[in-house]
Amino acid sequence: MKSAPFDYLAADDLADAGALLREGGKPVAGNQSLGPMLNLRLVRPGRLVDLSGLPELRRVEEREDCVRLGAAITHAEIEDGEAADPTGGWLRAAAAGIAYRAVRNRGTLGGSLAHADPAADWVIVMTGLCATALLAGPEGARRVPLEDFVTGPFATALGEGEILTAVEVPRPGRGARWGYWKFARQVGEFAKASAAVLVDREAGRLRCAVGALGRQPLLLDDPAGLIEGRVDPGEALRRALPERAVEDLALHVTALRRALEAATA
Amino acid sequence: MSTTEVRLTLNGREVAAAAEPRSHLADFLRDEHLLTGTHLGCEHGVCGACTLFVDGRPVRACLTLAVSCQDAEVRSVEGFDEDPLMARLREAFSRHHGLQCGYCTPGMLATAYDIVRRLPQADAARIRRELAGNLCRCTGYAGIVAAIEDVLAGDPPPAAVVPVERRRRPRPRTEKPAAEATRTSDSQPTAPADESLPDRAALADGVALERTLRLAAPPERVWAVLSDIPTVVSCIPGASLDAPPEDGRLTGRCVVAAGPMKASFRGRARVALDAAARRGSVLGRGRDGLSRSSLEGLLDFALHEESEAAARLELAMRYRLKGPLAQFGRPALVEEIADRLLAQVSDEIARRALAGPPAEGTGAAAAPQRALGGLGLLAHALRGLVKRILRRR
Repeated sequence: MKSAPFDYLAADDLADAGALLREGGKPVAGNQSLGPMLNLRLVRPGRLVDLSGLPELRRVEEREDCVRLGAAITHAEIEDGEAADPTGGWLRAAAAGIAYRAVRNRGTLGGSLAHADPAADWVIVMTGLCATALLAGPEGARRVPLEDFVTGPFATALGEGEILTAVEVPRPGRGARWGYWKFARQVGEFAKASAAVLVDREAGRLRCAVGALGRQPLLLDDPAGLIEGRVDPGEALRRALPERAVEDLALHVTALRRALEAATA
Repeated sequence: MSTTEVRLTLNGREVAAAAEPRSHLADFLRDEHLLTGTHLGCEHGVCGACTLFVDGRPVRACLTLAVSCQDAEVRSVEGFDEDPLMARLREAFSRHHGLQCGYCTPGMLATAYDIVRRLPQADAARIRRELAGNLCRCTGYAGIVAAIEDVLAGDPPPAAVVPVERRRRPRPRTEKPAAEATRTSDSQPTAPADESLPDRAALADGVALERTLRLAAPPERVWAVLSDIPTVVSCIPGASLDAPPEDGRLTGRCVVAAGPMKASFRGRARVALDAAARRGSVLGRGRDGLSRSSLEGLLDFALHEESEAAARLELAMRYRLKGPLAQFGRPALVEEIADRLLAQVSDEIARRALAGPPAEGTGAAAAPQRALGGLGLLAHALRGLVKRILRRR
C-alpha cells in the first residue's frame, strides 16, 4: 500500500534539523521502522525531516574509555566493522542479527533506539552494555543512560525538538564477558524474548537485562547473585514482574539463562 | 502536494524525474521509468521482492523514499544484463529450478548477488539465513539455495557492483514546506461502524488478557461508578460516547496513540450487568477507518470486596485485532499498553468512587478527548476495557 502524502526535508546539519523539527515534523533516518507504518498508513506525518545525512550523526568518535557511535550509523556499518566496536565484536554480532541485510543497509542505530520498539535488538543490547544516549535539543545537550532513555513501548525520554545524536558505548575492562540471547520464531523477526548479561568486574559493571517484554528493558536488581549462580533466573524474573503469569515469562527465563551461560560458562 | 526533482544514476544512466516525497523507489522506477522488473509484494519490508541495489548495497525499494536517493547509484534487475556474476546466477537459477512464477526472483537475485560477493565462504545454512528476508511462495527454497551454492563453488567472477563509500550528498528540499500539521485520525472521516457485535463463541480463540485491579475505595461505591456507563467511559482517556447508552447498548469511540501511531476506533458495544453478583460483561467491536483495522473483544468482570474500603476488580478479556494494526499488535505490547491504561482507569474510578455518587449525565459530557499515550493495541485494550467496564444492563 502507498503512504499518505507528506512533505520531506533533508536537514543540512544539527542546528537546521532542530529548527525544522521545532516547526513540526517527524524525524526519520533509515526509514526501516517508520517506512512500514507509513506504507500501511498507520502513521500520517505532515512532514518528514531526514536526519540520515547529518554530519554530526554520521561521526564515530573513539575515546580512551568509550566509543561514540553517531545515531545515523547503520546496522550494516557496525556489522561490517566499518564503525569502531569498543567491545571487540559484541556489537558486530548483535548488528548481524537485526532483521535482514537489505534492512541493515539503511536502518540506523539511533533510529532504532528512538523508535523504541520493546523487542528491538539495540534497545536491549545498549541497555545491557551500560551505554549512554547523547541528546541535543533546544535546551542544549544532555546525557541519558540507556535504561532511562527508553521509557515504555515506543516511548523515550526525547523531548520536543530533541534529537538523539550519538550512543556512547563504554570500553569493557580486561576479562569482561558478555552474553546476548534472543528468541525469534524466524530469522530476522522481532524477538519474542531476549536477554543481555554483562560481566565486567574490572570496570565494576555487572548487568542482567531482559528485553522484548512489551515495555522498556527490565534491569534485574541482583546481577551479581545471578551471575554467581546464587539467584535462580526464573525466581528473579518472577519477583521483578509479579503481575505477569509464569507461563508468559518462560521464554524470557530461558533467554536469561542462555545469556548468563554465554557470559559465564 | 509538492514534488521534488530526483536525479540519480539508474542502471548506469543519468535520469531525472519529479517524485512526490511519499513515492518509494520501486514506484519511481516502475511508474516514471517503466522498469517493472522491481516487484512489489508486501510493500512493507517483509517479502523482499523489491530488493535492489542503492550505492552498491541491497536495500528494500519499498522502504526507500525516492527523494532520499538524490545523486545515488541505483541498479535494478534490468541493469545486470552485462554483469558476468549475475549471468552466472541466472544460469544457476534456471538449472536448479530456482524459480517458478518469477515474482520473487528479482529480489532473490539481488540478495544472491550480495551473498556471493560478501560471503564467499557461505555454506547452505548461512545461505538460508541470509535469504530469510526474501519470501518465495512457489518453488520453495531448495532450488534457490542450490543455485547459490553452485555459483559459490564454481569460482564466481568478481562482482561488478560493489558498495560505494557512503558520502554526504547535498539533498535539495521539496519546493514548499508543509503548511499542514500532522494529521491524525480525528480530522478524517471514519467509516461507519459495523452494526453487528461479535459473538462470544467466535472470540474463544482470541488473545486472552487477564488482570486484577485493586481499588482503594468502598466496593459499593466502586460498583456505583461501574454501573454508570457514561462515568466509566469518562474514566478512560481518549474514550467518548456518541449518545447516552440505551438498554446497555452504546456507540462511541476511543482514540489511542502508540509511538508514532494513532488510531481512532469507532464502534459499538453491549454491556450486561448483574448487580446482585456485582459482575458483568462487555462485548464490542470497533474499527479505525484510517488504518482499516478492526478490534473486537469480550470483557468479563467481577467486583469483589477486599474490605470495607478496598475492592478487587477481576478482568478477563479476549480480543482479536485485524488489519494493518495487527502487524504491530504483538500480545506483549498490547498487554503493556493495556496495563498503563488500566492503571489510569482504575485510579480514576477509585477517585470518582471516593468522591461520591456520580451526578446525572456528567460522564458523557466530561469525556476527555485527548489521545492516550499508548499503542494502537492500547486502543484495542481500551475498547475491551471500556466494554468490560461498561458491560451492564
